[in-house]
Amino acid sequence: MNVNLLTLSEVVDVSGEIGNFSVKVKQHPRYIDMEKCIACGLCAQKCPRKVDDEFNLGLNQRTSAYIKYGQAVPLKYAIDGETCIYLTRGKCKACEKFCPTSAINFEDQEQIIDLQVGAVILSPGFKPFDPSGFDFYGYRKIPDVVTSLEYERLLSSSGPCMGHLVRPSDHKEPRSIAWIQCVGSRSTNRCENGYCSSVCCMYAIKEALVTAEHTSGDGVRQTIFYMDIRSHGKDFDRFYEDAKAKGVRFIKARPHTIEAGKDNCGVTMRYACEDGKIMIENFDLAVLSIGLEPTADGKRLSDLFQLNLNQYRFAKTSDFSPACTNRPGIYVAGAFQTPKAIPRAVTEASSAAQEAATALIHARGDLTRSKTYPAERGIEGQEVRVGVFVCSCGINIAGIINVDEVARYARTLPHVALVENNLFSCSADTQEMMAKKIMEHSLNRIVIAACTPRTHETLFQETLQETGLNPYLVEMANIRNQNAWVHQREPEMATRKAKDQVRMAVAKAALSVPIERTKVSVVPKALVIGGGVAGMQAALSLADQNFQTVLLEKSDQLGGNAWKVNTTDQGEYIRPFLEKLIGRVESHPAIEVLKNARLTSAKGSVGSFTSEIQVNGASRDLTYGVAVLAVGGRETTPAEYLYGEDPRVVTHLELDALMRDDSAGLKKAKTTVFIQCVGSRDERRPYCSRICCTHSVKAAIHLKDLNPQMNVYVLYRDIRTYGEREDLYRKARDLGVIFIHYTPEQKPLVGREGADLTVEVFDPILRLPVSITTDRLVLAAAMEANDSKDLVELYKCAANADGFLNEAHPKLRPVDMAVDGLFVAGLCNYPKPLNETIAQAKAAAARAAVILSQTEMTLDAIKSFVTDKCDGCALCLDVCPYRALTLTDYQAGDGRTHLRMASDKALCKGCGLCSATCPKGGVYVHGFTMDQLRAQVIAALEDVA
Amino acid sequence: MTTQPVKIGKESKSIFKDKVMQLLPDGGNLNACLTCGACASGCPATGLADMDPRRFLRMAVMGLDEQILKSEWVWNCTLCWRCIYVCPMKIDIPQLVYHARKSWPREARPKGIRSSCDMALTSESCSAMGAKEEDFRMVVEDVLEEVRANQPGWENLTAPINKAGAEFFLNQNSREPVTEPDEMVPLWKIMSFVGADWTYSTKGWAAENYCMFMADDENWERIVRIKAKAVDDLGCKYWVNTE
Repeated sequence: MNVNLLTLSEVVDVSGEIGNFSVKVKQHPRYIDMEKCIACGLCAQKCPRKVDDEFNLGLNQRTSAYIKYGQAVPLKYAIDGETCIYLTRGKCKACEKFCPTSAINFEDQEQIIDLQVGAVILSPGFKPFDPSGFDFYGYRKIPDVVTSLEYERLLSSSGPCMGHLVRPSDHKEPRSIAWIQCVGSRSTNRCENGYCSSVCCMYAIKEALVTAEHTSGDGVRQTIFYMDIRSHGKDFDRFYEDAKAKGVRFIKARPHTIEAGKDNCGVTMRYACEDGKIMIENFDLAVLSIGLEPTADGKRLSDLFQLNLNQYRFAKTSDFSPACTNRPGIYVAGAFQTPKAIPRAVTEASSAAQEAATALIHARGDLTRSKTYPAERGIEGQEVRVGVFVCSCGINIAGIINVDEVARYARTLPHVALVENNLFSCSADTQEMMAKKIMEHSLNRIVIAACTPRTHETLFQETLQETGLNPYLVEMANIRNQNAWVHQREPEMATRKAKDQVRMAVAKAALSVPIERTKVSVVPKALVIGGGVAGMQAALSLADQNFQTVLLEKSDQLGGNAWKVNTTDQGEYIRPFLEKLIGRVESHPAIEVLKNARLTSAKGSVGSFTSEIQVNGASRDLTYGVAVLAVGGRETTPAEYLYGEDPRVVTHLELDALMRDDSAGLKKAKTTVFIQCVGSRDERRPYCSRICCTHSVKAAIHLKDLNPQMNVYVLYRDIRTYGEREDLYRKARDLGVIFIHYTPEQKPLVGREGADLTVEVFDPILRLPVSITTDRLVLAAAMEANDSKDLVELYKCAANADGFLNEAHPKLRPVDMAVDGLFVAGLCNYPKPLNETIAQAKAAAARAAVILSQTEMTLDAIKSFVTDKCDGCALCLDVCPYRALTLTDYQAGDGRTHLRMASDKALCKGCGLCSATCPKGGVYVHGFTMDQLRAQVIAALEDVA
Repeated sequence: MTTQPVKIGKESKSIFKDKVMQLLPDGGNLNACLTCGACASGCPATGLADMDPRRFLRMAVMGLDEQILKSEWVWNCTLCWRCIYVCPMKIDIPQLVYHARKSWPREARPKGIRSSCDMALTSESCSAMGAKEEDFRMVVEDVLEEVRANQPGWENLTAPINKAGAEFFLNQNSREPVTEPDEMVPLWKIMSFVGADWTYSTKGWAAENYCMFMADDENWERIVRIKAKAVDDLGCKYWVNTE
């Protein structure tokens, strides 16, 4: 209701400033009335004009009347004016003839829409790299060379071959597939994309694994040719190791040329292994892992909005405010800012929303709308009167199912007081009619035999609410998707099945009772645990939105790790930023900073938590609506490579300290060696610490700047300078830093020869061991999360096997925790550089503000409830994934104490595992009680018996 | 077999690579190597003399100057540019090889290339096979006569020699007139078919320049200058070298 979606639209002009922009939007004609379109798809079926389907990258065809893909939002068809026969040649209108709702409107015109907005967020995304310019890969010349995006469509069950993978040349299933990484990324020859696209390693591994699921039988062979595998995200390295274990071949090599195979089927490649050995291999299919490029739209938008772009034409932002542009009030999100994967794009989108929300704080709520309904009327004691509305859905249902017969049948069912057949049950006029009938006939249960509750249940619930009925008194029978659409060839059987479906729905509906949506009042206060940059930034973002915030820090100083790091990845000095941040936090009227403090208890749930806090030894209570967990992480202490034994061996943070305090000493070194992955990506910590490659490369550049004559060596497993950090890697090499690849099987050996500190490592390219006498050895010690076991226990939240606090879903809810009302940010979630920490903290604040901005939160009504049959056996306790159930004592009438479960409505998600587990009907889920399910099952079997 | 580790560090000593970098635009990107191996994958000389372009560059970067300056592999390289064509960093390995060749004493360079260079220097024809100016004219005229006589439809084919003011000045590799004279004909036919106004020249007619492959800068230049002067002397607009 508060999101107005303008599709087919582009910004053509903008003026004004933060708080008051005038934006002119040009909306191109859709030729289909969105109000009338019911997405039945008839227009697309009848349209005679076939054009390349751009969503499937031209691998198949669509018609001029189309939806881009099945999950399109809004799910409304459109007519492509460029190719439509009527719009280009003045004849046809087939779609208009067949559209059952008269939604086709060939008179539709381009419109100019003027918007007044206070802030703008730009997220024009990226363009996949076009590899046709690389003649050596033969793309568009050799049939079996495809891009990774094309391959994605070939694999997809909604793609051109319905998920049954075939190769383009002969439409046979490929048995051996090769991926070539970094096509259009990390290259400045024949393209200008010096950056790493950041996502291709992971999507290639995913495609390789998914391939096995989309091919028949065993023996499919997947080979990935790579330079460095960059699985730097949370749990990504596990995925990589898993792929290796499942037989995906990873070859550190780069084929020079792809040649067509015999009869132009498949491909041949010649490649040199790391040891120089030449291999010639045939593959059935080659996939080019193409990179991400800025779009032309991004450039156009940045011109319109006068934004600064960087050398690659991505939006230029500071590491301290990754969503902010050079124009106040204009924010960016997604790959427009820099290439990134979904988790970061979603996180940063929330952080852009936070920036906009803060900018518009004085106007908060001014334009938001909310719907009001008449007071609910009780139905207790009333005779059950079911109204059944059978939908024709134009001819979608009625074309197969005899809806009249179904309607006649419905009249014979018990409790049914009224049956109607509607052409379109979801249309606005039908809704009005339905409301009228409900009142006229005193209906108190409604069955809609139509389509899926997934898209339409909310609509019908609202119609019930308009009449004062409880929204949970409606039941849907899906006679379209689950019947008419899948039984098109058996209309009679389909009609019988529709009757079964209606009978089941009526049986269940008759037992429906009003369910109350629980409301919890929200304590408008936030608790932030952890006073590092993540915690401070989250606290500040909340406080700037006028929410009282308590910031809890275990030590006596705010700032955490940021005190020990010199610059961000873009080279911005951290210290001044940090001091300013601390100053703002400590002086903010809405923030209460508690140092030397720790949490000792946590009770309650979203909207209202209560905790006991120890501050300087004294205890106090705190009530709050949300909490942000930002307890940070730390550099580990290496247990190898003479660390602690030889003072010349230091960690990254120690090197940063030397850079701050002892430049002269650093400069004197003739040689400095870095060793990467010290304690990361091993058995103990099977994850990548994400920040060390960039840090080493940055430090190496710093040393070369101090003393260009210094020999600097970096010993690495994979260099993971993802995104535009790749420029630092390039710069380091240009300055003469030498990178030597090592494997865990052949780790570097650090020793002492007399007074000399030596590092011996095998150089795979030289094919020789190399012995380096060095003046300093810098170890990229692994990052670790600070211990959060107590918090996990107190809040019943979750951490992964490596001790990093878990988000509810890495892509969909990257800063929410699985426990509602808890949010996570910073190193405790996963190692990350400062800009990502700041974005995540702001995102956590944005998500927390969604809760805090309501005085009362309405929860979903489908929740578990404990009945008097519960005897406290607690079997359900173990299966509940949300820890919503607790075992409690109660005093029975006999004066004795009994045990019984209690369900916390705020924590329960209504999944029903408890109900399915309970042997004695002690716990049910509203709307799905055992009686209701039983009635449905009996009704289903009735006809059979 | 145990290999003694290569000792590096302390004093920087990639003298050869640094020297070459100073000579090349952007230093030939010689430091930028990602060791991806695309060069080695496509190089026809990979594996010869236990060497490949990536390893060669790596040795230079690591300061193993002595070994690379002695490596005979530089003479296996054909300077074909397949490496730099696909290199994501556009690293000028051919130039590195070229300068390594240059470091060899002239008399130590491969005899075949050296004598071809020396031979080209013996006459103004610039032919590495020693075919003189008049030899070339004779062969061309003989072949032309035969084509005109025996190939129907080509009675008016021309192969002009020393035609002043022609638009195109065409070179010819010595191998054709000396060993496979008929191989010259298709080119004449093409020139005739497209209606090009072209000419051979007796001076500087030979297309090859082994002094370049020899990395003999001085004589490479000398040969180029002889040919350039021939082009200028005939007043041709374009110089077409078939090499």
